[in-house]
Amino acid sequence: MYNTLSQPYSWRENSLEWPLTSETGPGLSGVIACETGISWIDVAKGELYYRGINIRDLAGHCSFEEIAFLLITGNKPAENRAEYKTFLEQVYGARILPEPVVEIVKGLPPDAHPTRLLRAGVSALGCYAMTPGEEYRDQHMWNDFAVIGQVAQLVTIIINLKRDAFTFDYGAEVSLSYNLLLNILWRTPDEDEVRLLNLGWMLYADHGLDAPTFTGMIVGSTLADPYYNIVAGLSALRGPKLGGTGEQVLKQLLAFRDENVACAWARGMLSMKWKIPGFGHRMYATEDPRVQILKRELRKYAASIGEEEVLDVAEAVEKVVSEQLAPKGIFVNINYYAAILFHLLGVEPELVPCMYAIGRMAGVIARLREYATHNRLFRPDEEYMGPLDLPYIPREE
Amino acid sequence: MIGEHFEVNSQSYGRGLEGLNAGKTSIGKIDGKTGRLWYRGYSIEDLAEKSNFEEVSYLILHGKLPTDRQCCTWEQELHGWRTPPREALSVLQWLPSDAHPLAKYRTMLSVAACHMPEGENTRVDAQWRRPSRVLSWSTALAAAAIRHMNGRPPLSPNHDLGFSDNFLYQALGRKPDKLESKAFETSLIVQAEHGLHAAALSALVVISTGADLGSAVLAGMGALSGKLHGGANQTAFEMFQSLTDADEAKEWTEQKLGEKYRFPGFGHRIYKTDDPRAKILEPYAEQLLKKSGKENLWAVYETVKHEVETRLGKRGIYANVDAVTGLIYHPLGLPTESFPIPFALAIQTGWMAHCLEYIPDGKMIEPGAVYIPKE
Repeated sequence: MYNTLSQPYSWRENSLEWPLTSETGPGLSGVIACETGISWIDVAKGELYYRGINIRDLAGHCSFEEIAFLLITGNKPAENRAEYKTFLEQVYGARILPEPVVEIVKGLPPDAHPTRLLRAGVSALGCYAMTPGEEYRDQHMWNDFAVIGQVAQLVTIIINLKRDAFTFDYGAEVSLSYNLLLNILWRTPDEDEVRLLNLGWMLYADHGLDAPTFTGMIVGSTLADPYYNIVAGLSALRGPKLGGTGEQVLKQLLAFRDENVACAWARGMLSMKWKIPGFGHRMYATEDPRVQILKRELRKYAASIGEEEVLDVAEAVEKVVSEQLAPKGIFVNINYYAAILFHLLGVEPELVPCMYAIGRMAGVIARLREYATHNRLFRPDEEYMGPLDLPYIPREE
Repeated sequence: MIGEHFEVNSQSYGRGLEGLNAGKTSIGKIDGKTGRLWYRGYSIEDLAEKSNFEEVSYLILHGKLPTDRQCCTWEQELHGWRTPPREALSVLQWLPSDAHPLAKYRTMLSVAACHMPEGENTRVDAQWRRPSRVLSWSTALAAAAIRHMNGRPPLSPNHDLGFSDNFLYQALGRKPDKLESKAFETSLIVQAEHGLHAAALSALVVISTGADLGSAVLAGMGALSGKLHGGANQTAFEMFQSLTDADEAKEWTEQKLGEKYRFPGFGHRIYKTDDPRAKILEPYAEQLLKKSGKENLWAVYETVKHEVETRLGKRGIYANVDAVTGLIYHPLGLPTESFPIPFALAIQTGWMAHCLEYIPDGKMIEPGAVYIPKE
């Protein structure tokens, strides 16, 4: 028996024998939902591996497209050049969206939350991309690579919709990060900016069966059309406890100009025992490896452009909070610093969850493909604790 | 699902979390051995016979049958939201008419979600204001999606009619007669809640992230569209319709039984005996089919059912509700592709009840996975 409660992502040489036994707790903690070869979280040491490669070795050296290819196919782009080339063509080519979908998104109220706009856009795309009667099991009939490009393009459109600006597609040769940055910045992005955005997406690409991924998988297990999975995943992703955290963090931090004020606020929150957004992650017993990478890269970048103010405030707040909470095993989570990353690239707070979504598409698609190979409908039981066989007495009409 | 009293314990479960006790609930109880189903303690046989959908949805959501006054307020609330945002309806003109109605319905719902009043408010009281909006809006949107299949414009709601009749009116463009009305409403009642199936689970995962109830329902919709879930009534009906009469059905079933074919609409993860929902609906299906001169279809159903159950019944494979609902929706005049929609309309009540039950506890749902490196 695995003690899965303390070790939710165990590592095994051989495949599992179902049914299996494990310790289970609330929120399905400790439950093993599936076998996977995509990512492994080393909870005790605080390491994260994509397809067996430590993310510390990938960070900063790879484009998001390469990470997506690695996660989805399990192959390294350098060793499969031809396959990788087709992958890129499909992702980039998908950025030309059907005209009616663009019209639908443009007709949505710009003051609605961007993830809602994105969800509506993806849903509309599904009406075009799928012809009736297709099944995920024959999934080569639909092009799941394309979804990455489509979502990235939709986010670009939404960013510009919010700003009342035009969206340009700079052609099929341009990478996802470059295209998005051109649309945000209205100038040629430099190498550091492209690198930073790729890093942000990469760190969000996959992280075990968290809510957006797991929702997508449940939906996928019914053999639903993949656009449903993405729509469902997006619904989970915008929750205030998840993708929404980054947004809250950023709004909070931007409100403080001064470290002392921010620290005083944090101490106040702590003394009232209120939750501070961006802290606490059920998974790691130690610091999140993604946070360590982010902190290092952000400091480097912020110093190079001379905009260290927000980062200083953020680190000061983290120090205050960690002093009190780290002994209890509560550490800062990735949303906290990723929000600052996207802020430095000129992304508004409320668009942070959309950035999360682009990155996460890689992981969701990888997991859908993987689970489809040995599909089984997710359907747990419940324990009923109410009365039975109550007499029904109709109301007097 | 009430997680706060949930203790850490050791459990065995299979692939797809089969047999896992995910938590405690007081909404519904399914007895798979005897083939019975209760909502909040009332057996569905009673509710199907004597109640209506408004009352049952109130019961499922609030845990108690409404008093006269509560029922009146609830009906008023439902009436008040019968007109969805115009923008959500007008999306239809941009969508290809041959897209699956569920996909169109999903798109309209996601657009409506952008117009939801107090959309970002996820306080508990705001969540409790959502069920009526979701139920009434989705009825109108679903009806519009169905009408769009034939290139017809959406209809305004008819305020003289109840929830279920009004849906039929908006989808078909005519008032249903007494038998049709009762048959359809019964099908909504018996499908209004069914434990923690895949769709309810995905709604629950979404609500556990602190999202709003509308987002959770959209996630549930996704799971419901799958061929193994809500889409099963469409595939089952297509199977029955492809057979002309009882003789052909018998021959075909025997042949397929030899091939170990998985009959859509037969077998259920929980029921290893007659599905109580199917049993309630069968008489209505029979009457409706005979009334509209489609006795053959009924004969085909009975033959396939008989053959499959005699051969596979000992392995616990019986006709489930998905096999029967199509036989009710078809004589009503609903297009085959739209069969998952009434199911979605009914069962979202159950998802919302599960979500509202889960909110106070609110622990984020996050299972684990075992990493096995690729050989």
